[in-house]
Amino acid sequence: MKVIPFPGGGAERPDEAWLTELEAALDGTAEGPRADSWRELREDVRALTPPMSPEFERELGERIAERSARSAVGQSRDPQQPYRPREQHHPRQPRRRFGWLRPTPSTLAAATVAFIVIAAVLIVAPWRPAGHTVEGSDRSSSVSARADRLGPAFGPVERAQVAGASAAKTSSSGVASGASASAVAAANAPAASGPVAAPGRVQQLGASISLTTTPGEVQATADRVSQLAVSEGGFTQSSHVNTGQDTGEANLTLSLPSAKLSAALASLEALAPVRAESQTLQDITNTYDAAQQRLNDVTAERQALLRALAKASTEGEIDSLRERLAQSRGAIAQAHTALRAVSQQASTSEVEVTVVGDKRAGSEGLTLHRGLHDAGRVLVVTLAILLIAAAILVPLALAIAACAAARRAWRRYRRERVLDAR
Amino acid sequence: MSAKPSADDTGPRAVTAPAHARLDDIAFDELFRESAADVHAYAISLLGNRAAAEDVTALAFERLYRARARLDHGRGAPRAWLFAIARNAALDELRRRRRQPQSELPEEMADVQGSAEAFERIVRRASVRDALAALPLREREVVLLKFHGQLSNSELARALDVSESNAGTRLHRALTRLREECNGLEREEEIA
Repeated sequence: MKVIPFPGGGAERPDEAWLTELEAALDGTAEGPRADSWRELREDVRALTPPMSPEFERELGERIAERSARSAVGQSRDPQQPYRPREQHHPRQPRRRFGWLRPTPSTLAAATVAFIVIAAVLIVAPWRPAGHTVEGSDRSSSVSARADRLGPAFGPVERAQVAGASAAKTSSSGVASGASASAVAAANAPAASGPVAAPGRVQQLGASISLTTTPGEVQATADRVSQLAVSEGGFTQSSHVNTGQDTGEANLTLSLPSAKLSAALASLEALAPVRAESQTLQDITNTYDAAQQRLNDVTAERQALLRALAKASTEGEIDSLRERLAQSRGAIAQAHTALRAVSQQASTSEVEVTVVGDKRAGSEGLTLHRGLHDAGRVLVVTLAILLIAAAILVPLALAIAACAAARRAWRRYRRERVLDAR
Repeated sequence: MSAKPSADDTGPRAVTAPAHARLDDIAFDELFRESAADVHAYAISLLGNRAAAEDVTALAFERLYRARARLDHGRGAPRAWLFAIARNAALDELRRRRRQPQSELPEEMADVQGSAEAFERIVRRASVRDALAALPLREREVVLLKFHGQLSNSELARALDVSESNAGTRLHRALTRLREECNGLEREEEIA
């Protein structure tokens, strides 16, 4: 193993007094022959060097004076103006022709921080309106799943209804004449967030929303709600409006196509400030399956009766079968009705809208509660931004610091090696 | 908070200095007048080349000027910073050149009209010159920093980027060897 002695490590440690004596001698505070000899040695060493050339000294002095003058008038921020005494003396030093393009470390650091903060803002900031917009694809897929769940046995009318058909015609046999194309479009429309329907299940959606407006605007808002229900392919099941001098309230129950529930809610939110909102989802798959099974059973029974009728030979037997067939027709009609009712539950959503008239509603945006809420929101977003920025900056700073330390150590090593190589 | 400039380029990590020390433009001018010749002397003694010494001198002042706002004035005298910068620049110059320092030190001192005292001084300085040249570069630079920079022991330690104890050891060894070399050379002169 090669042992490399540390510079100075092998020498005797100097006496503290020796160093003190040297310092005192060189400072001129000590007297005596030893002190004189140290001072003489220093003067001898200093006298060995030739003086600075007057030209260089003058030029360097002028550059410094020029710098000082620039600094005095606030033009000293020119870091790329080196003190170059004479051009011919340093041809080996590369000129920084494009040095002014070189960003300073502070500029780079500021740019990095700004970039990270902007990125954090983009990640965190809620650009979307609060809380209710999500992609419509999820919703449409779930609705389609429900439609598929109805199965081919029931026919396209019911499937279209569950998928959000706004209109469908039914024949006496329960076969659809066609599904509305708008049903599919509505199903693909942007949907509000709410209960997530499970694929393959038949589910009933519902919602309630409470809007706030001024007492004088309650009636107008209720009218707009009704108009909105119609425009969305639904209708107003019930409406009760009560207006007074300082207060007012309207309660409406809307029946809307399930596929348009999200869009309708978004439109309702645009009518007036939302005080409260909730959405419900009820699974009615079992009810639907029971109705379907009941229809299948009575249909099969009717088929059996018809086959028995064809084989009947006695008058009494034929009369009995006809009576049972008549009963069977009634049962089939009932089963169809029940199945349609369940499908109707799935394809339509009931929305309860409450419009509350409040004198303070007009200035709601200025209330203390609202202000505190907004301030809290700002603080949360700010903290999140800072957290994300710190999560990026701290490791980055550590890495940069490690690199800088390594670079510093490497440079020092190379410099010290120069001394050892000679 | 005062930022510490890079020790690689702009000086020692910490040098004890008056807390009121401040390197504004006036102080910088004053520092230039006081120290330019010493920095140049240190550089030319180390590099042995006038052009290179001028480069190093200019570079040292430039770097100090650019870093003056970042200097921790409470932790180092500007002169100590200046010599630390000059040392780094000189070592970089040596490394860049990859060759031995040239000797541009004058063989003959100024003419002193032949007096005995002057003659003795010429002989003595010639011995010092030869002794200095005989020192390893690592020891020579300590002597040069000490005498040209006129740095205190702690300032010397910071300039060398070593502990104060280590700097004292180096200085002791270098000066002892310089003394021995000088004495040996003078004895040879007497014998001759």
